[in-house]
Amino acid sequence: MSFSLILKDEFKGFYKSKVMIFLWIGLPILAFILHFFLSDAYGTLSTLTAVLVSNIGGLLAAVMLTVNIINEKDTRVYDLFLIRPLKRWHLVVSKFLAVFICVSIACLLAITLGIAVDFFQSSIPIDIIAQNLVDPLIMTFSVIAISSATGILFGVISPSILVGVVLVIFVGNYISSIPSIVPFVFDIKDPVIYVLAIGVIFTIVLMSLGIILFERKEF
Amino acid sequence: MEKKIRCPKCSKIFTCDGNPGEEIFIKCPNCGTEGKIILEKIETIASKSLVVIENISKKYKDVLAVDNISFNIKQGEVFGYIGPNGAGKTTTIKIMVGLLNQTSGEISINGYQLPKEKEKAHRFIGYMPQQAGFQQWRTANHALTTFGKLSGVESDKLQSRIDEVLNLLGLIKYKNKKITKLSGGTIQKLGIAQALLHNPSLLILDEPLSGLDPDSRYQVKKILKELSKNGTTVFFSSHILSDLQDIATKICIIDWGRVIKIGSLDELKSEFSKEKQIEIILSKKSDKYNEISKISGVKKLIEQSKEKFIVNIEKTSDSDKIIDEIIKTLIEKNCKIRSITPLSPTLDEIYQFYLRKGVMNQ
Repeated sequence: MSFSLILKDEFKGFYKSKVMIFLWIGLPILAFILHFFLSDAYGTLSTLTAVLVSNIGGLLAAVMLTVNIINEKDTRVYDLFLIRPLKRWHLVVSKFLAVFICVSIACLLAITLGIAVDFFQSSIPIDIIAQNLVDPLIMTFSVIAISSATGILFGVISPSILVGVVLVIFVGNYISSIPSIVPFVFDIKDPVIYVLAIGVIFTIVLMSLGIILFERKEF
Repeated sequence: MEKKIRCPKCSKIFTCDGNPGEEIFIKCPNCGTEGKIILEKIETIASKSLVVIENISKKYKDVLAVDNISFNIKQGEVFGYIGPNGAGKTTTIKIMVGLLNQTSGEISINGYQLPKEKEKAHRFIGYMPQQAGFQQWRTANHALTTFGKLSGVESDKLQSRIDEVLNLLGLIKYKNKKITKLSGGTIQKLGIAQALLHNPSLLILDEPLSGLDPDSRYQVKKILKELSKNGTTVFFSSHILSDLQDIATKICIIDWGRVIKIGSLDELKSEFSKEKQIEIILSKKSDKYNEISKISGVKKLIEQSKEKFIVNIEKTSDSDKIIDEIIKTLIEKNCKIRSITPLSPTLDEIYQFYLRKGVMNQ
């Protein structure tokens, strides 16, 4: 019961936050602006949008989570939760899910707009566009998941917002970019499975670390 | 014989009739829980210690924040925990609510050992931290709804309970206001509201009166008194002794992480003063009052002006008898008395006395 309640609350808190409003509106606008500058050499707009929004969305998700957790630690928000009969990991996992789902939806909106532009502007059939989009979509979700897990971990361990943000930008960004560089670095025939595996494994490892440290933390 | 009973399910206190040793059937008027109980057993439970702290210590790297503290709190007691800034009050409280783990020692709340059984113990605890933090995007009502649900308040009774608590603290007009729009004092009171929501048997408040205006302080003190009357055990910290006056049944003074003194305010006062003092004010100047120094039990006469003087009497002597004799002597000497007032030490004097004593014993 407590998990669903906290998850619902976290959604409520995140979906109307200023950063999320920027993502809801900003990412689709960015995708729309992109098509004016897109030359044929870059492929379809939807594919390029997927690559771009996964990086922007991933970075913002990580920063948002880190800042949120550090801020809530500083303002003693967790004291009021932790003296009630609930599991500590509920707080961390609900935050991760709320941000991961919100940012993924915002990215999907931008990509959908990209598909619409591709469909109306080019002669490429919709089924080809959709087929070409599977790989970038998996990559997008992998990057956002790893970024969100990084955000949780750095939020739990960082003593201040400044340290947390620096860690997210300089360390977290490298970790979350691993799925997107796999297809370029290794000459793998079907890289999407590897991208997905990396996304899942990295997310589980980072989240487990974050949860263990949060469980041990003294408030 | 009328007995007060706390429902084990919803913590509501209600009364029932019966004799000690008699088995009676009870039904909670709040949640409808039914069962048979033996009244004698309830009395035993009521007089037991709700909080037992034995030789608790807490070390942060090289700093010993709490040093071998022990005390018990009985059900229905109002336990005032007082000490200067950095004395170890908040650390003790955080150990009591399970936010920190003690380095050594044992603590049990309602029979549950901490930190092992803290989830079970949390059902009985209402806690207000020194700085009550609420997520900024919530409204007061939304925050209380979440905390109420997490504390196990039934959904159909939650809104009426929130209204009840908000009314009690004078916060009902802020019910739908965002946390960001509330003042520091209002957030402080909202912190008390969330602690009261689930009718806890043990209320632990970390400096609940700091940051409140005089009217709010009075209201909160009144609420704490009422709760204590209804059987709730209250533990609260402060660094001002006058905050504890009138409400604390037991006071514990702490400094440098150590307990310096535990006792009722009267016990604290009695140890403080070696002599009793009486202030006498005359209507007219007179030199004849010196006669009262001859009364047995009078130790010293301190003249403050021609009309006003202080009489020091031995602590063990009967002050009523001595006052009678003083009045008699003054009337015989034609001194016109305006007032005779037994003086008691100020709370600040008592507090400073014990703190100095604590430092001397370090």
